[in-house]
Amino acid sequence: MKTIVAVSTPIGVGAISIVRMSGDDSLNIAGKVFSCKENIEPRKVILGTFHYKEINEKCLLVYFKAPHSYTGEDIIEFQCHGGEFLTKEVLKALIECGAVLAENGEFTKRAFLNGKVSLDSAEGIIDVINANSEAEIKAGFNLMSGKLLNKVKSLQNIITDEIANIDMTLDYPEHDDEAETLNHTEKQIIKVKEEIEKLLNTASTGKLIKTGINATIIGKPNVGKSSILNALLGEDRAIVTDIAGTTRDIITESIVYKNVKINFIDTAGIRDSDNVVEKIGIDRTKRAIQSSDIVLLVLDSSNDLTEEDEELLKLTKDKKRIIILNKIDKKNVLSLKDRHILVSAKNNENIEDIKEAIYQEFQTGTIDTSGLILTNVRHIEALSKANEICKNILDNCKNSTADIVSFMLKELWAELGKITGETETESIVDAIFSKFCLGK
Amino acid sequence: MKKVYYDSIVVGAGHAGCESALALSRLGNKTLLLTLNLDAIAFLACNPSIGGTAKGHLVCEIDALGGEMGKNTDETLIQKRMLNRGKGPAVYSLRAQADKQKYHSRMKRVLEEQENLTLKQSEVTKILCRKGKVIGVKTAMGETFIAKSVVISTGVYLKSKIIIGEYTKNSGPNGFAPANQLTKSLIDLGLEVRRFKTGTPARINGKTIDFSELEVQYGEDDIQNFSFLTTKKTKNQSVCYLTYTNSKTHEVILNNLSRAPLYSGIIKGTGPRYCPSIEDKIVRFKDKERHQIFLEPEGLDTNEFYIQGVSTSLPYDVQEEMYHTIKGLEHSSIMRNAYAIEYDCINPLELYPTLESKKIKGLFFAGQVNGTSGYEEAGAQGIIAGINANAYNHNKEMLILKRNQAYIGVLIDDLVTKGTNEPYRMMTSRAEYRLYLRQDNADIRLTEIGRKIGLVDDERYKIYKSKMLKLNKAKEKLKIKIKLDNKLKNFLKNNNENIPSQSLTVYDLIKRNNIDAFKINDEFGIFKSFNNDIINSINIEVKYEGYLKQQEDDIKKLEKEESLVISEDIDFFSIKGLRLEARQKLDKIKPKTISQASRISGVSPADISVLIIYLKLRQNGKN
Repeated sequence: MKTIVAVSTPIGVGAISIVRMSGDDSLNIAGKVFSCKENIEPRKVILGTFHYKEINEKCLLVYFKAPHSYTGEDIIEFQCHGGEFLTKEVLKALIECGAVLAENGEFTKRAFLNGKVSLDSAEGIIDVINANSEAEIKAGFNLMSGKLLNKVKSLQNIITDEIANIDMTLDYPEHDDEAETLNHTEKQIIKVKEEIEKLLNTASTGKLIKTGINATIIGKPNVGKSSILNALLGEDRAIVTDIAGTTRDIITESIVYKNVKINFIDTAGIRDSDNVVEKIGIDRTKRAIQSSDIVLLVLDSSNDLTEEDEELLKLTKDKKRIIILNKIDKKNVLSLKDRHILVSAKNNENIEDIKEAIYQEFQTGTIDTSGLILTNVRHIEALSKANEICKNILDNCKNSTADIVSFMLKELWAELGKITGETETESIVDAIFSKFCLGK
Repeated sequence: MKKVYYDSIVVGAGHAGCESALALSRLGNKTLLLTLNLDAIAFLACNPSIGGTAKGHLVCEIDALGGEMGKNTDETLIQKRMLNRGKGPAVYSLRAQADKQKYHSRMKRVLEEQENLTLKQSEVTKILCRKGKVIGVKTAMGETFIAKSVVISTGVYLKSKIIIGEYTKNSGPNGFAPANQLTKSLIDLGLEVRRFKTGTPARINGKTIDFSELEVQYGEDDIQNFSFLTTKKTKNQSVCYLTYTNSKTHEVILNNLSRAPLYSGIIKGTGPRYCPSIEDKIVRFKDKERHQIFLEPEGLDTNEFYIQGVSTSLPYDVQEEMYHTIKGLEHSSIMRNAYAIEYDCINPLELYPTLESKKIKGLFFAGQVNGTSGYEEAGAQGIIAGINANAYNHNKEMLILKRNQAYIGVLIDDLVTKGTNEPYRMMTSRAEYRLYLRQDNADIRLTEIGRKIGLVDDERYKIYKSKMLKLNKAKEKLKIKIKLDNKLKNFLKNNNENIPSQSLTVYDLIKRNNIDAFKINDEFGIFKSFNNDIINSINIEVKYEGYLKQQEDDIKKLEKEESLVISEDIDFFSIKGLRLEARQKLDKIKPKTISQASRISGVSPADISVLIIYLKLRQNGKN
């Protein structure tokens, strides 16, 4: 059986979240993301770092060795910091490392199948399973998922037609028009891919709507980060002094601008060392950059670029960023090729421009609450895979034979079927019959 | 009354019955094959051809298991082609024009010569049973034959009725007598009987056809045979022709629709969607300006031509008017009129995947009586019914081919799991493991199975073993490195391929899009000691490696589910948590594995979870 994973604590509530994995592969997968894997021992709490791509989080790991666990299989639990975003990132990382998202009630089902739950509760479990399928049916009537369902079904229908077209040329060679069929398929798959991409784009929008845009303010010490934050928030929150390194803690404050929530994170100057990299707290800054949706890089317009500034410009060059030249109330000596906003935090000059710029960065037609928005990890996973298959089909359409193209189309169809819950191949056979005139 | 004893009885000597009877007798069972008419043995009642898409696959599989259809076709064919070239090796499909008379007479001879087999003309009217087990059959003349197992392969002969316009007659195909009494016996045994319909076009005298303006379709030389045993090259001895219907043809049909039995209500049986009559095609596909027609010779000793694509049940006078509108057929004369035929068949949901009846032990069904269409589909079921009747006789494990092993597996699984509401035709699109289930590897997939059963004789097994040996040797050649000299550079350039920085292995070369194993052999002689079949197999395996691997993973997943067996004594109605519809469906179909259960329409994934839990519970309870 596959190794399954799920978030076991309610999402978005509480200071810690528990992400739990069960299955033969649990230990192996944990090894890929946990820093102190050599310390893992059954029934011991181990402190380490969850490290995967951009995630770098301290967390606790507990290992329950089969059969002495709830499910009777190897179980690994990660206890990490709470909060929806991080929890989902951890979940996503484990899925990318080979676990599959658990069905509702699947841990309990496995526990039962492995004889870990008493016979008395058998009926209860059956009820749970049935209740879940009922809930899924009900979810179909939910406006949002109903819309998604219809959208994905319409994509499946396009694919069904193409499979039927190709399979017709395969099963009825006398009605042959293969070249034309494959050309048509290519055009249709381009369309399908566009639609899938549109849906996937809404996934980030979905997140933004739920949790807001994370905007991290960075800059060398004493460049006026906290002043800018205060100006943005419209109230005095952080202590502002002329002494570099006053702000010690990361400050997060949120505003709502044109119905979009923006969370500002002030990364405080940390200068404990003479080393340039250390001076700007490179590790912390890096992490802050990674976890944010957009970076506000503050430079001092009254001085030339320093080594520290250059370093920060380099660090953020592939990230969504807004460059802010602060202190225009002083003399303006800095000239910069990159697009930037001139502000004076002191005089509250052009501060609204920053908000508007952030808003615009996320306004590329993606925030449209009336449309479809993806929020379900399972859906996003399926659509991402479907998108890859589309690419594969388009790359290979010209060089492959029809039997292979048909094979890939079926794969694509099945991937989308994970969202619509349809798996019937009979629909393709029916489509062949209903659309074409055949005979012997 | 005198009773005669056999091990097994096969009722009907069509394509299913012949394979059943041969399998049984070859496995050492004293077998009686009864037929209404010895002249109708292995009769090609519709088109004079064997194979085609998915059907060619079935023939190769029957052959790999030790059946007769492939050999019989190779011996009697007069033209052969490989369909779907250029669409990928998975769907390459052999199709042959067979000489109708020779096909019949050779098969009849094979049956006559077969040890342990008694061939007799007699009409079976009753199936004899005792305590839920079959014990024999009774004939119209009053004979009683006793046997441990009986295979019913009556084709379209049960209460068959032919229809030509207003004219109807109780008759089997081609004027052969129908079997009017056996249906009642099936109903009395509690089996669900249904009425299906199919049809056939007219046969026209070739002397009256003007071929001069028609497109000719030639056969292909040098292509594989149906049988892995056939070593000689079969010869193309005739050609087919291509013509089309036109607006005049359609006008004639539309003007006479009121006289078409399909629309006037005379025809009650359900016909196949994939093989509609010409009137059905014209009504359903109004926009299509013309329909393709193939003129196929019925044999070398006759002028009769089969008019593929215009089967109809219109009255004889409309038929004549209609055929005369077609280019080439303007002055043609009809020798046998087109007709529709209705017949009784059983609901295949009555059967286990072994083709044994769920209600009567030892009673097997195969062929069109199960609601299928086509000679090849019939033959495929025939050999399985024969193999399993033998297993029944000797209390051995029965053979169920899986969907990932053979088209035969797909065919039977579809029939007994999903059922069918129209005559079922095999299509490659029904096979989810199409890339793996190919003609060229039918022997690799099935010969060991046939050997274990005992149907694969030493000769066939030796051929198979030697092929496997050669394949392995050929695979070794893939590792050969070809130096990056001017010869290789030119070869790559001529095939529009990039030139790499270092030497390439044969394997790397085959992977290239514009190059294949044959081209490499022509240029570098790598595979010169191997025949085309071997080179072809190597080529496919390398080119399709990634996709095959992906399918293999799917197959492994399926196998896990297949291993969860549902025992026959489970009472689905007593399982709490199953929805009512699922209980009913499961009770009716009685799936043998969780995998089969999951393919039943109306059984949801939640039902399957409940079922798995129930099975586990039972297991735990027993332990």
